[in-house]
Amino acid sequence: MKRLAAALMAVFFLLLSSGCAVRDTDPPRLRIVASFYPMYIMVLNIASGIEGVQIDNMAGQQTGCLHDYQLQSKDMKNLESADIFIINGAGMESFLEEVASQLPGLFILNSSEGIELLEENGETNPHMWVSISGCIQQVENIAQVLAQKDPEYAQQYLENAEKYVQRLSALRDKMHQALDDLPHRDVVTFHEAFPYFAEEFDLNIVQVVNREPDSQPNAQEMAETIRLIRETGVRAVFAEPQYPESAANVIAKESGASFYFLDPAVTGEDDPNAYLDAMEKNLETLKTALS
Amino acid sequence: MDVIYEVIDFLLPFEWTEFYFMKNALVAVVLITPLFGLVGAMIVNNKMAFFSDALGHSALTGIAIGVLLGVDNYLASMLGFALIFALCISAVLDSGTSSADTIIGVFSSTGLALGIVLLSMNGGFSKYSGYLIGDILTVQPEEIALLAAILVAVVLLWIPFFNPLMLTSINADLAASKGIRVRLMEKLFVVVVAVIVTVSIKWVGVLIINSLLVLPAAASRNLSRSMRSYHAGAVGISMISGVSGLILSYYWGTAAGGTIVLVAAVIFFVTYLIGKITR
Repeated sequence: MKRLAAALMAVFFLLLSSGCAVRDTDPPRLRIVASFYPMYIMVLNIASGIEGVQIDNMAGQQTGCLHDYQLQSKDMKNLESADIFIINGAGMESFLEEVASQLPGLFILNSSEGIELLEENGETNPHMWVSISGCIQQVENIAQVLAQKDPEYAQQYLENAEKYVQRLSALRDKMHQALDDLPHRDVVTFHEAFPYFAEEFDLNIVQVVNREPDSQPNAQEMAETIRLIRETGVRAVFAEPQYPESAANVIAKESGASFYFLDPAVTGEDDPNAYLDAMEKNLETLKTALS
Repeated sequence: MDVIYEVIDFLLPFEWTEFYFMKNALVAVVLITPLFGLVGAMIVNNKMAFFSDALGHSALTGIAIGVLLGVDNYLASMLGFALIFALCISAVLDSGTSSADTIIGVFSSTGLALGIVLLSMNGGFSKYSGYLIGDILTVQPEEIALLAAILVAVVLLWIPFFNPLMLTSINADLAASKGIRVRLMEKLFVVVVAVIVTVSIKWVGVLIINSLLVLPAAASRNLSRSMRSYHAGAVGISMISGVSGLILSYYWGTAAGGTIVLVAAVIFFVTYLIGKITR
């Protein structure tokens, strides 16, 4: 029995120690950690081609919005070795205080500084990157701070950002051209990701169903929404591909509206063009949905 | 389905039946609740309330495995895992090493933890949290057909197997002496529970599925004096709480599953008091 216990203990500690990976011999010059996917895509563009920069996406590719995100120990470990932590701000990172108090030395870059925030029911809406203008401002904010923090490559950060912003504003112009004259402007959306986007393209969000994305609307809310859609003649119901669409589908079917996915670009591929691609797709969706 | 909709419109011309999603939910409730009453009565009899709870929790793991395998329909992976899980519990129970509640507790927490770990590995837990609460309002006609088929299957299965199952649960030795294959009966029952829990989990939710199985049977037990009235009572109470809970949830603007369970709980306490007074 004693021998067995000793053997078990040995195995246990063996497993423990094998978990401790050996450090990289050649650490990156500058380690940037983005809080979640939209930030990560921005940084991919801004820091593209700059030597010795390592970019990490803390929440991972598939997490989506950070509602109720639980910090894991691997995240803290990740942040501990970071030089710069880039966040969306405006309350998206609900765990921020915890991070700041545990890692007082960590430099936190709030990308939404200076952006005018939309407020509903006393809560600020943090989904500003979903509007292209919001995204541009965030890109510029990030580039400026990175240029200060890494002065040797300042020029390159700013040039990269400028190039990306040019592409973004070209897409914005294209979307305005395609969408501004479409006859229908009333939409119903699921979850609260689209107010900034709607403001930019002058869409009227008649109703947001199910603000909290991880529960389903109750019967009353569904019935009210169906009645509202029938009365106001809303043509399109939009849901995010990141969340289950069943309730949105039921509402659309029953009210006679059409159901579409609108992508807030909050999950996706590890590709610097992901945001632009998602918006191009949204453009096509809106063209069919609103004409 | 259209015929059913017309019947509902004719019999229940109320505000809450105006929309198809409520009609669908009503039909689904009318199918699920007798199933739960029937099987729940047997579960309570067999002192297996904790077992069905563990099965509900295992559904999360089943979903996680489905996600990892990349299948779109989680029903198959949930069902597969629930069956393995149920038979494993049953096998460990048979070995008699620890008491039943301990063994089931071990499996239950292992299943739940495995599900959470697997689902949170890719970070996208929010997509599946709907399974915790369930959503009867989005049930689709083809899914209603599946529920109906399962109800029919369970009723058909109960006709020949009710007596042997019952005897096994009351006294296994006596059942064995009468030539009933006790182990087979137990396994059969475990499989039935696994199937109905898995199939209905999407509509009822991991967190409350067990209350729906246990509460109506427990309430019926407070009042009934015979086997027949116990089972009939469980089915009746289950249906009453299902339908009235659905209607109340519409007017109160609350989650359907939780409201149904609350109604069943109220019925339980009322029957408890009545039972106290009359006995």
